[in-house]
Amino acid sequence: MSLEQPRQRDVGVTPDGELDYDELADLLEEYLLDREEHMNAQGFVVRPDEVAAVLETLREEAGFDHLSLVTAQDYQDRYESIYHLKKYSDPTHELSVVVPTTRENPLSQSAAPVFETANWHEREAYDLVGIEYDEHPDLRRILLPETWQGHPLSSDYNQDQPQIVPLREQADPMEHKTQAPDEQDAMFVNIGPHHPATHGVLHLKTVLDGEQVVDVDPDIGYLHRCEEQMCEQSTYRHQIMPYPDRWDYISAGILNEWAYARTAETLADIEVPDYAQVIRTMSAEMCRIAAHLLAVGTFALDIYGDFTAIFMYAITDREKVQHLLEDLTGQRLMFNYLRLGGLAWDLPEPREEYFENVRNFCEYIPERLEEYHNLLTGNELFQMRVLDTGVLPPEKAKDYGCTGPVARASGIDYDLRRDDPYGYYDELEFDVVTRDGCDNFARASVRLEEIRQSARIIEQCVDLLEDWPEDEREIQSNVPRTLKPDPDTEVYKAVEGAKGELGIYIRSDGSDKPGRFKIRSPAFCNLQSMEVLAEGEYIPDMVAALGSLDIVLGEVDR
Amino acid sequence: MSKEQELHDTLEQAQSTQEARMGSGTDDRFNSKLREAFGASPFILTKFDQFMNWVRGNSMFMLLFGIACCSIEMMHTYATKHDLDRFGAGVPRASPRQADVIIVPGTIVSKFGPRLKRVYDQMPEPKFVVSMGSCTVSGGPFQEGYNVIKGAEEIIPVDIHVPGCPPRPEALVYGVLKLQEQIREGESAPVTVKPYELEEFGDLERDELVQQLANEIDEDDLVMRYNWVDSP
Amino acid sequence: MSTLLPETISDALGIGGVTGTFLGGVIGAALVGSFILVNTAVAGPWLKRKIMASFWEKIGPNHIGPFGSLIMVADAVRLISKELVVPEGVDRPAWDLAPMVLASSALLGFAVIPMGSILGINVQLADPEVGLAFVFAVASIASVGLVMAGYASNNKFSFLGGLRAVAQNLAYEIPLILTGISVVIFAGSLQMSEIVAAQSQTLLSVGPVDVPAWFGILNPFALALFLVANLAEVGRNPFDIPEAPTEIVAGYQTEYSSVYFVLLYLGEFIHIFLGGAIVATVFLGGPAGPVLPGIVWFLVKIWAVFLFTQWCRSSLPRIRVDQLIGIGWKGLLLASFANLIVTAAIVGVLAV
Repeated sequence: MSLEQPRQRDVGVTPDGELDYDELADLLEEYLLDREEHMNAQGFVVRPDEVAAVLETLREEAGFDHLSLVTAQDYQDRYESIYHLKKYSDPTHELSVVVPTTRENPLSQSAAPVFETANWHEREAYDLVGIEYDEHPDLRRILLPETWQGHPLSSDYNQDQPQIVPLREQADPMEHKTQAPDEQDAMFVNIGPHHPATHGVLHLKTVLDGEQVVDVDPDIGYLHRCEEQMCEQSTYRHQIMPYPDRWDYISAGILNEWAYARTAETLADIEVPDYAQVIRTMSAEMCRIAAHLLAVGTFALDIYGDFTAIFMYAITDREKVQHLLEDLTGQRLMFNYLRLGGLAWDLPEPREEYFENVRNFCEYIPERLEEYHNLLTGNELFQMRVLDTGVLPPEKAKDYGCTGPVARASGIDYDLRRDDPYGYYDELEFDVVTRDGCDNFARASVRLEEIRQSARIIEQCVDLLEDWPEDEREIQSNVPRTLKPDPDTEVYKAVEGAKGELGIYIRSDGSDKPGRFKIRSPAFCNLQSMEVLAEGEYIPDMVAALGSLDIVLGEVDR
Repeated sequence: MSKEQELHDTLEQAQSTQEARMGSGTDDRFNSKLREAFGASPFILTKFDQFMNWVRGNSMFMLLFGIACCSIEMMHTYATKHDLDRFGAGVPRASPRQADVIIVPGTIVSKFGPRLKRVYDQMPEPKFVVSMGSCTVSGGPFQEGYNVIKGAEEIIPVDIHVPGCPPRPEALVYGVLKLQEQIREGESAPVTVKPYELEEFGDLERDELVQQLANEIDEDDLVMRYNWVDSP
Repeated sequence: MSTLLPETISDALGIGGVTGTFLGGVIGAALVGSFILVNTAVAGPWLKRKIMASFWEKIGPNHIGPFGSLIMVADAVRLISKELVVPEGVDRPAWDLAPMVLASSALLGFAVIPMGSILGINVQLADPEVGLAFVFAVASIASVGLVMAGYASNNKFSFLGGLRAVAQNLAYEIPLILTGISVVIFAGSLQMSEIVAAQSQTLLSVGPVDVPAWFGILNPFALALFLVANLAEVGRNPFDIPEAPTEIVAGYQTEYSSVYFVLLYLGEFIHIFLGGAIVATVFLGGPAGPVLPGIVWFLVKIWAVFLFTQWCRSSLPRIRVDQLIGIGWKGLLLASFANLIVTAAIVGVLAV
């Protein structure tokens, strides 16, 4: 169920629900310079000083309310920002807005006044590629230290130059922050990067008034390990696949691998056998269970303090699902199981035994969920803590580009498994879990219910796999040894990761390595909404809100 | 020059680098003040030191510290199935002041380097470091990244390396047990000067980069200077 | 009325007068103090971990000594032998005093607790007429220690922790004492031995079993109130707000290492045991119990309260600081007043 008001037909949609690019082009006639053909959508080229107007028009008139990703890249002769637009109501309606700027003057208008989510995306583009955004509210480096020299993903960067990184013991927030209402009473606290509640190395610059949060500024980049550069240096066929495992490292490996597999398979036009798709679906849902279990466990950790029973139970159950995944892939955490066009290998022998283990696990999940509900959602103290705290209204969630459980807990009915089906999902039965609470409680309960749905999907997959005829068990289609997609082919594809919409943009340059590899990280976008969640809350609620966002720094920082 | 000779030379060189980095007054983490006073090693002090090593080897508080992928396996090691606490090493403390062992579980990048050093410095002696995963050995799969420090040992001294990407919990348990064994034997990694140290900005050599940043960084700010070319 | 421990000791030593009283007092205090410290030493590094481990379905320390119990020695010696880090900018005398204040205030409370008898010796150091008031007074000195620790550490997390601690103790001290007063109305005395004696009658007999007239049985509502307020007093879940590891690192103890940390840690555990001792004395008939000597029953009761705190710790969420204050001032305070008035009315009616 969606909180959204029903709206009249958007411009650019034909009566049978298809996207009509010509009509959109007419809408944008005064701005349009050129039209490009990308594999997933058309790209409309516009002038760098008209970005905000174009995006505003597209959002208001054509219903493109989801700025999925901003990709920045540099060519020999120009810089380019691509705004990948989608609709929350139908993510198959896609449009790319391409904004070229000259190399001499890489200045482009900011989209942040239209979409809040563009704020961080453009900061990242500035940081890594070096495009500057006019009218941007706060254009600083985001992933790299502020004193970094050069822009590492631009072509003229020298990786061997020395760098100096300062350790500033305490930044004085009053220098550049004016939100604090009364400077006398406010206190500045650095929460992180080493702090038990930050789920890794996140740094929250927090201004407190007593115990209440006046302002919070997440400072990320403490785990920016150049994933995009790594992927750009690796070949499509085999070398890239291990890296996705390390983005969202909470056992969500196969979900991430699938994001790359889906994009690269679209790019190189590779068919995947049905049998492999079913196994992909099954293993991906196992990963989702493991990831959500840890999310619930660490959320409990944040609320309960110290290691507690629920955290331990969640870890125990994760061990079980990790066993199944290990039997299948040979690894506990970094699976490297998918291949372009298929899988690394078939199910483990004896198959019957494996199916039985999986079935036992699927039966065990609902009874276990009862226990979690008893301990967590049924606990009145817990309810006291999490109900109506960390509220993220749906409009805000869309503005910040939130996806996944965070968006679904704000009543946004958006799940790529159903709305933009891939793999075997369109043949399977499952419910998309949404909640209208918009608060920390809703986010926790969405995750708990999604575990149940995932178990349902796995059971259906096992049914299918058991009856699969032996001579049709094809796990890999024919893929050339070296993939060399045509130069300047551009594609952006996304899957439903554990944290939300995990998308990848690839531009090929004619070689066997991508020319540009850009990751749309759901946690990165979700984390931006922190300032809405935390404002005016107490420190404990801010910590709980952070836990309920379920960020993984590996994915935020990439 | 024969292969062996080459190898020998390399080793020699490695040792001299280590010596150069060590400086004087190293590795007295275990020796009690009493022993210094007496000079020799009387029976009682020897027994006392043995007892202290037994104590330190059998009980340690870990620092609650997560960086990246390996921290997930580290949590599993603390938790039910692998239960590091069986060996007296499973109490995570959130404050570095109360911790004995820091497990470094993940990739260290340029922005985090100074913070890691700071956290390490905040721990009271005697302190030990277990580096977990390939990233802390060499940078692991991200070694070629523009932002990645090639191993924890560039910044802090490491007692035990546990390789793997990520290491299984069993491997981490093995690593911790090896550390305990080492401590019980009275051995520890020498505390050496690391290539990347926290220095005051004013103390840096005035080269081009320092000139450029002079407006942004105060003289007495602590900084870490990365010379990527010299990294292994 | 039986003789107190210092008198027993001075009689046994055969020294009279002021010297005898002094020696007897010192030796007695040392004995009782050591006894309590042994309990906390067992609880802190070892049994707590074992108890938590069984809540979490794991094993806990088991590699050195029987059931891993030598971890007590290892942990204690290791913690004491660590480097004492004195951070820059700490407020020296206050920072040094805080751990001692915390540990000693709790230990002082045991001076008036009747711990029953063993081999005919009555283990109680002093039995002043204002015993109960003394315990509450001494135990609440701990709040001063917490504020000192939090303020002097020159750390914002410590500071927040110290502020939280004092707000919490203010909110819960009053209900705690009011509930205690309701018992005093029953017993008609503040003297600990009188309170225990008042609970020694038989309430009713069910077959061969005599149900004693413990106040906890007479007025379970007061017992529940007291237990909740006591959880807040000792800072355990759901009220472990001053420490709150996932929010403010380790609260007031963030900057403490080595011996000072041991003292703070010990202080907390002694406080839990002191809370247990008050509950046992005031609500559970003190050292009373069949067959076994009184001191064993006393131990059983304080360990039961300890177990209760650990149970809460591993299964209850921590509430927010404003909710805690709200519960304290709006909920518990009212309930404890109601309890007091009803008790007074009943006692008054019975007396007439």
